[in-house]
Amino acid sequence: MSTNHTRADLTLRLGAAAGDGIQSAGEIMMKTLSRSGAYVTTYNGNQSLIRGGHVWFHIHAGEIPVYSLGYGIDYLIALTQLAYDEHYGEVNSGGVVIYDSSQVKAHDFPNGVKSIDAPLVKIALKYDKRPIMKNTVALGLLGGLLGLKFDVIANTIGEQFAKKPDVRESNVAAAREGYTFAEQHAPETMKRIKFNYAVKRSIMHADYAVALGAVNAGCRFYAAYPMSPASPIVHWMTANARELGIRVFLGEDEIGVVNATIGASFAGARAMCATSGGGFSLMQEAIGQAAMTETPLVVVDVMRAGPSTGLPTKTSQGDLNMVLGISHDDFPRAIIAPRSPEDAYYLAGRAFNLAERYQIPVIILLDFAIGDGGYATIDELDFNTPIDRGKLVREVTKDMTNGVWFKRYSLTEDGVSPRALPGTSGAMYVAKTDEHDEWGHDLSDVEAGLKTAIHMREKQHVKRMSKLKGVASEMRPPELYGPDRADLTLVSWGSSALPIREAIPVLKSSGFSVNSLEFFDIFPLSADAHSMLAGASRLLNVEQNITAQFAKYLRRETGIEIKENLLKYNGEPIYPAEVVDAVKNALKHEEMEQLA
Amino acid sequence: MRRWSNLLSLKLYESDVKPDWCPGCGDFGVLAALKNALATLQIPPERVQISSGIGCSSNLPGYIRTFGHHGLHGRPVPVATGIKMANPDMVVIVTAGDGDEYGIGFNHLVHAARRNHDIKVIVMNNEIYGLTTGQLSPTSEKGQRTKTSPDGSIIYPLNPLTTLLGAGATFVARGFSGDPKQLSSLIQEAIKHRGFALIDTLSPCVTWHDIYDKVRAKMYKLEGTAHDSSDLISAYRLALESDRIPLGLFYRTEDRPSFEELMSEDVTSTYPVDNARNLTAEQIASVMARFS
Ligand SMILES: Cc1ncc(C[n+]2csc(CCOP(=O)(O)OP(=O)(O)O)c2C)c(N)n1
Ligand code: SF4
Ligand SMILES: [Mg+2]
Repeated sequence: MSTNHTRADLTLRLGAAAGDGIQSAGEIMMKTLSRSGAYVTTYNGNQSLIRGGHVWFHIHAGEIPVYSLGYGIDYLIALTQLAYDEHYGEVNSGGVVIYDSSQVKAHDFPNGVKSIDAPLVKIALKYDKRPIMKNTVALGLLGGLLGLKFDVIANTIGEQFAKKPDVRESNVAAAREGYTFAEQHAPETMKRIKFNYAVKRSIMHADYAVALGAVNAGCRFYAAYPMSPASPIVHWMTANARELGIRVFLGEDEIGVVNATIGASFAGARAMCATSGGGFSLMQEAIGQAAMTETPLVVVDVMRAGPSTGLPTKTSQGDLNMVLGISHDDFPRAIIAPRSPEDAYYLAGRAFNLAERYQIPVIILLDFAIGDGGYATIDELDFNTPIDRGKLVREVTKDMTNGVWFKRYSLTEDGVSPRALPGTSGAMYVAKTDEHDEWGHDLSDVEAGLKTAIHMREKQHVKRMSKLKGVASEMRPPELYGPDRADLTLVSWGSSALPIREAIPVLKSSGFSVNSLEFFDIFPLSADAHSMLAGASRLLNVEQNITAQFAKYLRRETGIEIKENLLKYNGEPIYPAEVVDAVKNALKHEEMEQLA
Repeated sequence: MRRWSNLLSLKLYESDVKPDWCPGCGDFGVLAALKNALATLQIPPERVQISSGIGCSSNLPGYIRTFGHHGLHGRPVPVATGIKMANPDMVVIVTAGDGDEYGIGFNHLVHAARRNHDIKVIVMNNEIYGLTTGQLSPTSEKGQRTKTSPDGSIIYPLNPLTTLLGAGATFVARGFSGDPKQLSSLIQEAIKHRGFALIDTLSPCVTWHDIYDKVRAKMYKLEGTAHDSSDLISAYRLALESDRIPLGLFYRTEDRPSFEELMSEDVTSTYPVDNARNLTAEQIASVMARFS
């Protein structure tokens, strides 16, 4: 794959077997680049195993902001034959392949691709009986080729092995040999970017960002059952529990997890839990319960390719239909889908305010591509997250009680009733998952079917649903990326916005006029969404599932049908080049139609 | 804490909702015992949280004036766990049926016991699914005729006491709704216990499976016997008794700290309910340093 556009960016890919330390080498390189002023995004092509197989780590770095994986590969490190065979075809013209001919048989170099045969294993064996440091040698070599300061690389390696001084020394030495080898054997011309060592950029993936956003919004209770690719959230919460005062509950299953989260929230904590599709399926019933008892709830689904256990370490946006329809009968909910780690930080904070203001479940949809799979540079974050606890009453006034019970489910215009927390004097009430009256008394048993109960059921059902009006007024329209007017408007939700952002300038340079509408507030839909879609001259929907779930949802909500789709569902993230091709095909097709 | 006279405090727990149980249902006795226990311990109603599931027995919150969470079938234990972790000041009690706790919610019960959460679980065991009109429950006896076992059950019942002792429960007792006085003192002991407590409470369903006569014929009280409730092996032996039904405290140990005690040491003394605030500048600096 090659592209003729010139950008101040680079794409690096490191491929090896699991256990070869490619992820750690990749993360060291990603940090080194960030500490050298570069913008970075990464993708972790890992497998659901601990050793063996084939894993790869992709880095896209730039002097200017980068959003997704970029175009092709400028530098490929192939530590195994499989890594070579899988990836060499994607190396750009002018790119470099680094391999060790004692391990890898190089063949069929694409045109214009340069190669460096480096004795990675031989060097590594100087530092250990086994060649475990070949990844470090390769890392140093890559740093040398890119022209990074060795000090910055050494410091980052040093941090990685802070607790093992002897290993640290040998790793730094191994990296230096790789670095020196690069200085001696670098091809004459290579693609490079400028570094600015005065600028240090922060980097995180959306799992961490959503955790940080939640905790800074006051979340101090977190529950989970391990499931890829959501596990980094519980790891982060646990690692920070002591310092930040988070109580972490590792439940016996996801049903226990979500019910404990509901319990903590009912008690008055800001509480969250997260899982992936399978765990989310188990949480179904409880999400309806939270809506019925009007308990605020924030749940994260880090999507992976399904159905069933599917592909645990591969990405997808296939869970939209599930969350739109999750749990039986109608109830209010909000669904938001951050586009990037930075978005995840801010939207997590906002999710708690939505959940508490409307006393509803709020579902955050992330995916592997920006979650566990993808780090990205984040700008300076704003930590002054507003905390709005909604209609929380600390003191009970006469109008709120009958002397026995607190009127928890009082009928109000906006559908939201005053809420008191356990422990509040005179505020006793029972949170009811059965249908109930304003006092939280059952309508399901001795009153069921009586006229008063029938009317009250109607009123409570309408009350709950009427919250959606308020939620909708807070939902934001899609964000426009690119020019105001264009021949073609790409539509996306969540992380699919990112490859589109990298496709638009390339399309522009080939003379195509394209912009995009990035949806992140998914349900309820902002009132402006309709006019923004209707105003486009032509629409092409981009998402990562096989049935165009989002396009169909938009049609149901707005009546607007998007006929053209770029759908990807093989577990791999969308590459900008695929968006470019889809747009070119669509627009060329149109030209041909006009000619005919 | 203010002290009320016993009579006054009983009134404090009085609900204005009449229980919907069949006349003679064992659950009335459990309700009375629970009120009596709370009043005797002088716990103000706003400090009490009762979490229940679905079933006749699970209708209990609301018949007593405390905070309540009447949630899903089988899930009151995790809800209670979340409440206790978020606000350890609450006295957290679970009231639910044998179907709820030994059937659909059994996984939660066993693990809550193992982790020693400071929650008190009162299972109203009637050996039947009452609310759904009389099907086999995990504690139904072999040979028991129900709607789903017209020829008599072919399955041996679950023994909740041995199972929970095996899971590491730090307080295991059996009560009987026909003896609210003993049951009240068991509930009081459970509340005072530092950690998880199970009170398996025989609470007959007079409509689908009346076991009053069986219980009365076979029961005897552990109080006054030679049983030492700190002796796990002796507790096991008693729990295996089938000719007779021992009632009382089988086992109690405070050798293990509760989950919440460990968590307070480990994490922070500030409860999540009092901590819904932004991170401090110091915390932010420390966290962000690891992201750059
Ligand atoms: C998920 C789910 N499955 C089934 C039911 C139906 N259901 C309601 S109560 C009950 C059994 C109740 O038995 P138990 O817990 O022993 O309570 P009891 O009525 O005997 O007091 C069942 C199966 C339900 N409410 N939810
Ligand atoms: S059906 Fe049985 S358990 Fe239910 S209320 Fe009647 S007697 Fe009690
Ligand atoms: Mg029962």
